Amino acid sequence: MHNLGTVFRFEVIRTLKKKSFWIGALSFPIIIGLMFAIIFLSNKSLDDAEEDMKDAQFSLAVTDTAGHVNPSILKSVKAQTTDDKEQAISDVKSGKLDAYYYYPQDLTKDRVEVYAKDVGLFDNSKYESVAKSLLQATASAEVDPQATQVLQDRVGFTAVTYKNGQQFDGFKELILPGLFLVLFYLLIAMFGNQMLTSTTEEKENRVIEMILTTIQARTLIIGKILALIVLALIQMVIILIPIILAYLLFRTQLDLPNLDLTSIPIDPTRIIISALIFIFSFLLFTGLLVAIGAAAPTAKEAGSFFTVVIVFIFGPLYAFPLFISMPDALLVKVLSLFPLTAPVPLMLRNAVGNLTTIEAILGILILAVCAVIALAVAIRLFRYGALEYSKRLSLGAIFKREA
Amino acid sequence: MAQADTPIISIEHFKMTFGGKTVISDLSFEVKRGEVFGFLGSNGSGKTTTIRALLGIYQPSGGKLHINGKPFAVDGGTKLGYLPEERGLYKKESVLDVMLYFGQLKGLSKDEARKRSLAYLERVKLTDKANTQLEKLSGGQQQKIQLGITVMNDPDLLILDEPTKGFDPVNRRLLMDIIEEHQKAGATVIFVTHQMEEVERLCDRIILLKDGTAHAYGSVADVKKKFGGLSLDDIFIKVYGDENAAAEESN
Repeated sequence: MHNLGTVFRFEVIRTLKKKSFWIGALSFPIIIGLMFAIIFLSNKSLDDAEEDMKDAQFSLAVTDTAGHVNPSILKSVKAQTTDDKEQAISDVKSGKLDAYYYYPQDLTKDRVEVYAKDVGLFDNSKYESVAKSLLQATASAEVDPQATQVLQDRVGFTAVTYKNGQQFDGFKELILPGLFLVLFYLLIAMFGNQMLTSTTEEKENRVIEMILTTIQARTLIIGKILALIVLALIQMVIILIPIILAYLLFRTQLDLPNLDLTSIPIDPTRIIISALIFIFSFLLFTGLLVAIGAAAPTAKEAGSFFTVVIVFIFGPLYAFPLFISMPDALLVKVLSLFPLTAPVPLMLRNAVGNLTTIEAILGILILAVCAVIALAVAIRLFRYGALEYSKRLSLGAIFKREA
Repeated sequence: MAQADTPIISIEHFKMTFGGKTVISDLSFEVKRGEVFGFLGSNGSGKTTTIRALLGIYQPSGGKLHINGKPFAVDGGTKLGYLPEERGLYKKESVLDVMLYFGQLKGLSKDEARKRSLAYLERVKLTDKANTQLEKLSGGQQQKIQLGITVMNDPDLLILDEPTKGFDPVNRRLLMDIIEEHQKAGATVIFVTHQMEEVERLCDRIILLKDGTAHAYGSVADVKKKFGGLSLDDIFIKVYGDENAAAEESN
């Protein structure tokens, strides 16, 4: 294993030199950055529009026979009242008037009519906004402020729940154990394909014989896996740094909630269980993907198996409500203990707190044993199967070689 | 520690079958320490299979294949230089990066690997290609790089499977010079080839593989004597001519 460091360095450095790595690594934060920028700009535009609306200076005529709008409010926006709807519309058409509002007798049945001079796709919305705000301002002035809060759904609530006599916040409790599920998802999504093709390169480049007579297959595979883990961590940092910076610097502008990290509960047992499930799940799927890569003749063919693996791993997410509300259901038990589907249900149920100790121990053991088997099979497939350049290998053929 | 008079390679009753088809039925021979040994045979006669089984890439179906008295292991103490018949390197990487990688895997320090790589590149007139991606090199240039990697660690045992394949006469001469240098430095060389001219020039002893067994085995002079003083070219035609004719007929 003395060559492990050499393999590790070679794999990390050559991947970091690849444009494709940086395109992949930077595209995610760039997309996130663009989204934040769009949210920021749209929030700013909205604020600006609201500000503009307050100071909106345009000539306005209003027909309000039922008196839905308080005359003093109409006066404050310098609106003139009229009973001649046709004339007012004609004035708008000719440009003598900027806007005309027609408030119907019964607002529950008929619509408010707005006629206005075009001022551009986005700015045209100010006419409707002003028509609406005239009604809202009138209603607010006449209704009890408490009732206004209720009607506008602005009432705040504080809920305190208890479990075993202790204050318990289910959402906050799942944050730390749930992070491992998110991490697992991101790692497989971003590096699954790389794991799959990590050994096909030696095969496709016909370099396998030189490698196998220079270092042990085990050293090469472990070196590659360690390199993938480090590259994944680098990618996580690249993704997280802009998100954290955006949160810290632009939280208010982006309308993001204020997270009080000190209030997040830390349950060491559940965190350790999640960490163990995460580690063995990651090793299991790494072994599986490397084994598929070693068995398939080309990266392209290996890629077609990737979808199958992804269905097994993330398919259980569709049963999300079941894992939370019916932890004793047979399907939940089966999905939690079948090695290929186990990672998501185990991590999810541990995060929400309905994974029993027995299930946790059993699940971790199953994943650990399967991870060791998958890695051993991967190494063996690579060792004895890699010379079958143009053939897809069967496990039977590989293990028959022992005889 | 291996004795100087013990064979570096000993193969006893080696048998190899693939999917019920016997490629090697019963093969036994030895390679002495420090000699250049020619491993000859027609296409598909099992030369590469024997080498791969000797190096543990294939599991033999039977028999013993030993290097320095034991089955080959990467960390078994034998300094091996192996140029396989199937050529290839990491095509997307630069020449120097790949040479440094293999040099370090073969036990050299990074500095030593760099020193030896640059010296070799200068010798084969590829210094200006040190930072070029391997895939941008010609086939012959890539082969020279692979040969450089093979001999970079001054191997005790050099196994070259059809090393001249694809080389022009100039580069073939360069290869022969390199082989001779290593032999003079004490390395044992196994030379798998069809080029009888090279065998005559370099090899001390040879083996001719036919029908999965050793058809002829001994010093070049002994083998020639066995075939009535024919040249190696004529011996090759005499031994394998029928096979080739049959193959052509079936084609």
